Amino acid sequence: MTKHEFRIVGKSVKRQDVIEKITGEGRYTGDYHLPGLLSGKIKRAEIAHARIRRIDVSRALAYPGVKAVLTHHDVPRVLHYGSPHPRSASCTMDQYILDDRVRFWGEGIAAVAAVSEEIADEALDLIEVEYEPLPAVLDIDAAQAPDAPLIHDVGPGGNLVIPPVHIERGDVEKGFAEADLILEGEFSGGRPVPTYMEPNVCIADWDGSNKLTFWTSTQTSFMVRGALAEVLGLPLNKVRVLVDHMGGGFGAKQDLFQHEFLCALLAKKCRRPVKMEFTRRETFLAGRSRHPFRLWLRQGFRKDGTLTAREMKIVYESGAYGSHSPGVTNVGTASATSLYRCENVRLDGRAVYTNTPIAGAYRGYGVVQTYFAIDIQMDEAAEKLGIDPAGIRLRNAVREGDIAPSGHPVVGYGLEACIRHGIRAFDWAGKRAADRHDPANPAIRKGWGIGCEMHGSSAYPGIKEQGNAIVRMNEDGSVTLLTGAAGLGTGAHTALAQIVAEELGVPFETVSVVHGDTDVVPWDIGAFASHTTYLVGSAAKMAAAELRQRVLARAAEKLQEKPGHLEMVEGVILVQGQPDRSITVAEAMGPSRGIPAEHLVASGSYMPTKSYSFAAHFVEVAVDTETGIIECRKVMPVHDVGRVIHPVAAQGQIEGGIQQGIGHTLTEDYVIDRTTGRSLNAGLVDYKMPLSMDMPDIETVILEAAPDPGGPWGAKGVGEDPIIAIGPAIANAVYDAIGVRFHHYPITPEDVLNGLRRKAAESSARD
Amino acid sequence: MNKIHLEITVNGEARSMMVEGHRSLLDALREEAGLTGTKKGCDVGDCGACTVIVDGRPVNACLMLAVEAQGAEILTIEGLQPDPDTLHPLQEAFMEHGASQCGFCSPGILIMAKCLLDRNPLPSDEEIRFGLSGNICRCTGYTKIFDAIRTAGRRMAAARAQSVEA
Repeated sequence: MTKHEFRIVGKSVKRQDVIEKITGEGRYTGDYHLPGLLSGKIKRAEIAHARIRRIDVSRALAYPGVKAVLTHHDVPRVLHYGSPHPRSASCTMDQYILDDRVRFWGEGIAAVAAVSEEIADEALDLIEVEYEPLPAVLDIDAAQAPDAPLIHDVGPGGNLVIPPVHIERGDVEKGFAEADLILEGEFSGGRPVPTYMEPNVCIADWDGSNKLTFWTSTQTSFMVRGALAEVLGLPLNKVRVLVDHMGGGFGAKQDLFQHEFLCALLAKKCRRPVKMEFTRRETFLAGRSRHPFRLWLRQGFRKDGTLTAREMKIVYESGAYGSHSPGVTNVGTASATSLYRCENVRLDGRAVYTNTPIAGAYRGYGVVQTYFAIDIQMDEAAEKLGIDPAGIRLRNAVREGDIAPSGHPVVGYGLEACIRHGIRAFDWAGKRAADRHDPANPAIRKGWGIGCEMHGSSAYPGIKEQGNAIVRMNEDGSVTLLTGAAGLGTGAHTALAQIVAEELGVPFETVSVVHGDTDVVPWDIGAFASHTTYLVGSAAKMAAAELRQRVLARAAEKLQEKPGHLEMVEGVILVQGQPDRSITVAEAMGPSRGIPAEHLVASGSYMPTKSYSFAAHFVEVAVDTETGIIECRKVMPVHDVGRVIHPVAAQGQIEGGIQQGIGHTLTEDYVIDRTTGRSLNAGLVDYKMPLSMDMPDIETVILEAAPDPGGPWGAKGVGEDPIIAIGPAIANAVYDAIGVRFHHYPITPEDVLNGLRRKAAESSARD
Repeated sequence: MNKIHLEITVNGEARSMMVEGHRSLLDALREEAGLTGTKKGCDVGDCGACTVIVDGRPVNACLMLAVEAQGAEILTIEGLQPDPDTLHPLQEAFMEHGASQCGFCSPGILIMAKCLLDRNPLPSDEEIRFGLSGNICRCTGYTKIFDAIRTAGRRMAAARAQSVEA
């Protein structure tokens, strides 16, 4: 990479979108109001698995203020991708807008539009439903039983969502034969939900030309456009999707939700705009969770800690529909080929339907589960072999040229640098040698743990992605970037503007970003897979580079110089070596000497493969042996994300990911009753997330250890990485504190107390 | 449905509106007064996204009936700036520290932080954590929010000290 003096990239410039967020002026979808707006509500099933024998909406329709009611009799019967990536194999086509069958407690079975939210709500109670109950399948074991009731007619058989994913490399039997130590264990995890602060919301409005304008809180506006057009039988230019500010998504807002189709259909039927806004409870019932899982892992090690073989079987619980299960199963299973290098692997990944709420895309996409297991077993091996846990990771850490989960050689590996940095900065050896007791509280045991991860930027090879950007220099020298990338809160638009300003040679403040209107901005695959900066950033850089040439060509005419002799710095075009000869970009673009003013446009398209970001997380926990409460006291996340575009925004991603990861590991679990399929904690009090009183000190370290040539100046993704390594780091620290191993999350106080009792019983049995 | 005549002062401006008796203050602010900066994250008092100041006290606007606010002075996020061209020190600090990501919780947290600093100009870390215990942020891990509140508190205290000296 050529030496480049950065002026804007790498600086924490003021995020352009934040001013609107902190003044209250930023418009989120729910803040929009249209004349004649109706309120839409969904009737949700209160049974996990059933046929609808009869549904009577006559009383609801007659209720004053109700404008329309839809059931499965009134909507197109089209199978669609619940998750709108029709261009890829990452999703399953298994959903109807409304069906005569209920597959989970909380599924929508009818929709009402009325003049007010209250009336729509009241009308829901007037809809009479008669069910024919079907036996419900409520967990992974039940779904895999030979005589299990089938939830779908489509699919490869049984309750499988897709055919099992098999990956085999090397010679596993030979690898185990060479091992001095073989470890085997079973692991499992609960059902964390993303819990974005903005409940799902959309507004549909049809105009006289049968064109649908659709405001929605989505990460994937062009996918929403595509799926809506497909199901409604419209050309793409008759569906306009708009999204301005978004209150988070964390992956889950990639899906096309049932309410979005229903909102469009209600608006069409009523010939009036309709808004549908989830209650917080509905974000649980009808949102998307991470996949609960069961995992079996067997690994072989030499005396020095070197891995010789790995065998893994994982089953992901998809819930009632496939959503992202194909992608999650493929990505998650493939992830176990790497992180810690191993030549001999045999992996089996499956996803099964159950009659529970839908699992979908969520930050860490299938990998949170596999690396949780692998990184805990790594610790077990270190202990058995008498090796330091950080040392065994260094011995096995993925290296340059190793085959990555994507099937390509790793270019730029940062894991070793992350581990080595953390060992020093966290004082790993000193802490691990310290007393576990807390002088302030005799019930406390302290412990320290490490976890590692790698995660790809972009969904390649599952999805062949494309990033696009259009950059325009206006007649006054100001710059407009048009991008389809969603701004779900990460600061992506600011990073893109920084990239454009840097490449073009103009002040950051002169670049503005237009986004969120599928009629205007270039096509975009959506904001997910930690790829916006990497993928769209590269496209924006390409567009800016081309625009720069065109602006310089125009300036050259005015300066009567060769374009090759010119350079553009901070909005001033200079003749190299002649500092007295310069014009501003405004002068270059404006009219002069018979040359009319002009605006210039350039576009960039980029089709990446994939880069990998890396992290090692070091944590300190304090376990209260009387209450069983685990307190995460300190976290040092050390991340390699290649070139950092906006340090504060990158840190923010990391710290927020850790918050969610701590929650997954210790307290968060959306619980479904295993006899009825009913949700037991669909609210923010009973679903317990780490909040201001719970968060540890986080000392974030970002290394630019391994820039990747695929990203702008070597930038890689950061969004998903931080949620992955924290879980096993905490579980390992808990073991360090109290000597009890946990193979599941969340690790509750009850688990801790039971574990301590078991341990005490075992040691007294030995005595 | 019978509507009740409600007179409140919002961000220094007298407002008069007709609201149904069951309407929450949050819905009245968002829908009747058109002040959509205050957010609805749960509507049951769990998340704090709708925090506003009513007669000097922070409240979850979703848990208060609009008619209960009869005659009250209310401050919402739209009234936090001292004037349209100047940000409140908390807003400045939120920008600098990256304390707002998706921003959906930010109006509620900024209002709660203002209450905190009004009562306790230089809060300790524990006091800041406790002060925000009713506000859910899911993006930031809170670290940058704590930093921003500390910074704003210091600057506001310094500005007050300066104005006293002057």
